[in-house]
Amino acid sequence: MSSAAAAAALLLILAAAPARAWRLWGEPSDKKIRPMQELSDTGKPAEVIAALTPQFVQTLRGTDLRQSYILLGDSLDSLGRPDEALAYYQLGVSLFPKNVDLLTRLGSILHRSGLDERAKIAFKEALRYEPRHWGAHLGLAEIDATLGFPDRAAEHYEIALETIDTRADVWRDYAGVLMAQGETKTAELALGRALALEPDNTDSTILLSFVLRARGDHAGAILRLDEALARGADAGARRAKALWLLESGRDAEAAAEAALVLSAIPDDAAALWVRARARLAAGETVNAYDDLSRAAGEPANTRFSARAARALRARIKDIQDQRLTQPRRR
Amino acid sequence: MTRSLLTLLLALAVPSAAAPDLSADALLRDHLWREVRQAAPARRPKIGLVLSAGSLRGVAHVGVIKVLVDAGFPIDVVAGTSMGAVIGSLYAGGLPLQRLWHIASTVTVGTGSDLSARRLISLLLYDQLLSSENTSKLISKELGGVRFDQTKKPFACVAMDAYTGEAVIFRDGELAPAVRASMNLPGIFRPLEYRHRYLVDGGVVDYIPVDAARLLGADWILASVTETDFTTARPKNVLESLNQVIDIRGAYLSREQRRQADFLIEPPVGDIGMFDAERAPEAIEKGVIAASSRILAAEENLILASIPLLAADWMGAEARK
Repeated sequence: MSSAAAAAALLLILAAAPARAWRLWGEPSDKKIRPMQELSDTGKPAEVIAALTPQFVQTLRGTDLRQSYILLGDSLDSLGRPDEALAYYQLGVSLFPKNVDLLTRLGSILHRSGLDERAKIAFKEALRYEPRHWGAHLGLAEIDATLGFPDRAAEHYEIALETIDTRADVWRDYAGVLMAQGETKTAELALGRALALEPDNTDSTILLSFVLRARGDHAGAILRLDEALARGADAGARRAKALWLLESGRDAEAAAEAALVLSAIPDDAAALWVRARARLAAGETVNAYDDLSRAAGEPANTRFSARAARALRARIKDIQDQRLTQPRRR
Repeated sequence: MTRSLLTLLLALAVPSAAAPDLSADALLRDHLWREVRQAAPARRPKIGLVLSAGSLRGVAHVGVIKVLVDAGFPIDVVAGTSMGAVIGSLYAGGLPLQRLWHIASTVTVGTGSDLSARRLISLLLYDQLLSSENTSKLISKELGGVRFDQTKKPFACVAMDAYTGEAVIFRDGELAPAVRASMNLPGIFRPLEYRHRYLVDGGVVDYIPVDAARLLGADWILASVTETDFTTARPKNVLESLNQVIDIRGAYLSREQRRQADFLIEPPVGDIGMFDAERAPEAIEKGVIAASSRILAAEENLILASIPLLAADWMGAEARK
């Protein structure tokens, strides 16, 4: 047999029976790693780390070796040791630079560490080998959303959701970037998908209320907040309700909601602001001033709500001082 | 497959980005920001956007503008110097943001001029300065032959009179030649004779033209600043050396102007040279990232400046008497 014929025969074997052909190079085998994988699947990361000693890892080849880096990284990460996990993922990627599972894990941990530029490189590398890999697209979506590119983030979410369309949290994040672009109708539809998957999720309900408010539907937005409150949402939802009632000109209801917040959090600056505004509109300037003084707190308080309260309080004082110094009209 | 998917899901599990922040600060800011955006112009400060000089680095202003527009920043007037004048005039002239982004990402200093190798040799050997005519061609092509009083938002730009050393603030007449004068890098382009003056780039005297925005009536000014980091720059030729000297002078001049602005956004583009045309898209992205990271602080700053004016609407009739 000529060498050309031999090569052709080998190609035929490879094409016809790829699994068998791989064995020519000793790939793949996950026999050795299987017990550690089972430990990982049953939620025993410490045992996985203990079992995957450096000496044992040295005996591994191919799939076993690749999986060992994934298991070590995942286990260390789940035990709150991301720096060590990062080292294993990096080592894994250096040995298996085309493995998308390792690349996406590396990208994810870099992203969580705030190293977004490096994370992007890892995710984009994963997409070179698997252009529609949902994990890489999800990672890039989160990075683009964080950096201020909601349009790009939306595209990545859309591709990721082709595969993981049962993830309510991803539909919610997708809705968030749509809202940031002003695409409130599509955001509402995306939240509809999230709520269909998790009907009682208060985060989705509250985000939907923000979307409705952005579209000018204050009544609908407040109804959604009420739904979230009925499902146990915390004081934040009531705080939002008080402010949005104020925006709707429903001052008395706003003050009543603010009072409920203040009964739980007596110095809540937003609730004090709402009550001060309602009192100011009703001509109760002294009471409004007192609420703002409470919201302002100490002069050293640099929180935005405290500074806003100080600014309004100072303006009220100016107006009152002007009234006192102006000659009375006859 | 399922097992691998589950472990990957765990590895990628990060806190949801879209969960709304319901803290007192975030909600109050969101509420007041809505009031500022919806307020009649008389019920809030007149807002000026100032775009600094910075040659090719100045394309980062486009990223800053995009973030401001997306956040609903009510920009009333615009002022710019040099590349800031080019970007600012196109924005104030009403050019769609998408088009502005495209122009900025494909810009070279040669877009506004002719910096082909042949012309550069001509410049260096025969002491013949180049023409910046393409800058005015760009403005005319994109906006037509508009005048300052025809732009969508009031606009001003700054050049320097090379005879008197005065900063000349243009806010009337034809737009294109004024922008050309503002972007007329000295030592590279021939000074422009216009309105009986001999004009060169305004970055020499007014790097961050806060004063021009004030002349247009701005009460509150957000400045986008794209200075060079001259401590790390290593000029490779005569033109880059000259530009670096201008930038250094601009940086010293801008110290006071920085204080005069109410809010600064500074995209980290200091390492981008005037001929790094291939880095223009990167500069724009840095503008987006810098502005996104500062947008909430900018909103807070403007809200606090607006509260004294908004308060009149909030007070009862009795209190307003």
